[in-house]
Amino acid sequence: MSEQKIGVFICHCGGNISDYVDVERVRESVEGLPGVRVAKTNMFSCSDAAQEEMISIIKKEGLDGIVIASCSPKLHQNTFRAMAKRAGLNPYKYTQVNIREQCSWTHTHNREEATNKAARLVRAGIQKTLHARALEPIVTKTHPAVLVIGAGIAGMKAAISLSKMGINVHLVEKEKEVGGLIRDRESLFPTGQDGRQIVRGLFEKIKAADNINLYLGASVVGKRGSVGDFSVDIRVSNGETVSLSVGAIIVTTGAIPYRPKEGQWGYGRPGIVTLKELLGMISSQKEFKYLRVNGREVETITYIYCVGSRDKEHTYCSRYCCTAAIHTSNIIHDKWPEISQFHLFRDIRTYGNYEEEYKRALSRGSIFIRFSPKTMPEIEFEGERPVVKVSDLLTSKEEIEIESDLICLVTGLEPSPNRELTDILKIPVGKEGFYNEIHPKLRPVETVVDGIFIGGCAQGPKTSQESTISAMAAAAKAGAMILTGSVKMEPFVAEVLSERCDGCGLCEGVCPYGAISIKEDSGKKIAIINEALCKGEGACVPICPKEALQIRGYEHETICSMIDALIEGYEDVSS
Amino acid sequence: MIRVNPKLKKELERYGEFNANQCFSCGTCTALCPMGLKILPREIFRFSLLGSEEKLKEAEDAIYSCLLCRMCEANCPQGVKISENIRILRTYFTERVFKI
Repeated sequence: MSEQKIGVFICHCGGNISDYVDVERVRESVEGLPGVRVAKTNMFSCSDAAQEEMISIIKKEGLDGIVIASCSPKLHQNTFRAMAKRAGLNPYKYTQVNIREQCSWTHTHNREEATNKAARLVRAGIQKTLHARALEPIVTKTHPAVLVIGAGIAGMKAAISLSKMGINVHLVEKEKEVGGLIRDRESLFPTGQDGRQIVRGLFEKIKAADNINLYLGASVVGKRGSVGDFSVDIRVSNGETVSLSVGAIIVTTGAIPYRPKEGQWGYGRPGIVTLKELLGMISSQKEFKYLRVNGREVETITYIYCVGSRDKEHTYCSRYCCTAAIHTSNIIHDKWPEISQFHLFRDIRTYGNYEEEYKRALSRGSIFIRFSPKTMPEIEFEGERPVVKVSDLLTSKEEIEIESDLICLVTGLEPSPNRELTDILKIPVGKEGFYNEIHPKLRPVETVVDGIFIGGCAQGPKTSQESTISAMAAAAKAGAMILTGSVKMEPFVAEVLSERCDGCGLCEGVCPYGAISIKEDSGKKIAIINEALCKGEGACVPICPKEALQIRGYEHETICSMIDALIEGYEDVSS
Repeated sequence: MIRVNPKLKKELERYGEFNANQCFSCGTCTALCPMGLKILPREIFRFSLLGSEEKLKEAEDAIYSCLLCRMCEANCPQGVKISENIRILRTYFTERVFKI
């Protein structure tokens, strides 16, 4: 180890670090340590000039590895890895030590201790670089086909987009028809286009494409393999199981409209319907005016918003319902202007251009009454006629009673019941039951499982417009991956020290990604890691009674030497 | 307590361009009213829309105190013709309530 030569560079970050951490003292404390050939400070390590200088030092001194003590690796790890590569080093022989977020920014009240802590972190970083192995990214070839699960508007658009890239698509739908949530919808906001026509148009394109295989009444029953090379079992409508090889999977399983429980808001009694049911009434009853509820013509409709949204059970806003309800009321204003419409809302969220729908409803005579979640509207019955009682926040909390012929419960969306599929795909689900992306802004359609993407309402309630956008984003991500031909992954995966492993299988049970299997190898049971599935999460490491598993780049020896460096100078840390 | 009566609004619409339903209850008008009439004009419009003749009668003084200065109207983000709506209400009162 001691014959290695490494360079340590400590960054001022302008003053972000050096205002609180004495970077010169940190430099002095590591200068001359075994293996440290160069110890320098930089004003801004990330600047082009500083990078060029570091590259020339690496080359001149013939360094084997480097440590840069600066900001969070989230910010500049890739910058400095690329720099190390340009200097002829293996990028994994570089360690970034975070003395900004973890020292100067957090300990502004105590410069002395901030400096001491920075020095210890840098010493640990030096150990990491000294123990680092030259690693290469894991490269997997991609199978040129994509599985799309769910054939609603999102799934269909994703399938068509991929098909146009020349990629084979397997589109699996559990129902007997395509179209999902908009299959039976007539007018969709904001354009007023007929949902059924949109579905028909997409369906025609799918049928015409010779590289899309559509499986209706089918479901995913098994998945093996990993990014680039998944093997998926589909149970098709005749009960047979088909095995498919795909490089990526897009999950567009949608959501379902919330259905109030029987009796909740009077649901189940005549005249009390959900938005979906009201839309059904409009499309089936061309002469809606003469639709009789309890023997009366419909003269007054009252909408109650946020049913099944923003409550204890569903803490989220379902996004589409305000606009959908207001769009519906505009259809009614157009067709039957004599019908009075009252909207009982908590907050109207007709964001962006959907505001036009709200303005239109206001100008047509829709009356909006705001209630507080503390005083929810109540529905009573006078005979068979429902009367809504509500306290109006926009006057002085005046108690208002609205005799209504029809009450529309504007319901939100709930996650599709996908327990089985979730277990098969092993993709994370948020606390509300929708599939989670890695990062809502920067990686909005990727899941933590490489090669599995999400789109549409499977990810959370969306308008059809937003569903299409996310599905096409997922198709673009999956398509780019497939067309590249291979995928590169971080090499920080688990490895088995075969001489220690006795094949007990404890690790297999704790791996959340199904990356470990126990195999028989020349008469001895041993754990095998599927590197493409492993996330380097490390659950297997502490569970192993034989210390036979370690994460590459974080080997037992590396970690122990880093801990030793961190606690150096303390006599007995255990007491 | 107000029992909603959609007919009143339809009645008012017969007297002219009653567009109080454009109001989204921001309260700019109330803040600007030089008469400091808290009820004017936002709540009065609300009572009209909900059809509470009784509440409107209670607000009779306020309805007739309006100076028709249009300070509120000039600043209404929704383009509600406030002074015109007040005039319609006064006409309604004269004919239907005072029966003059």
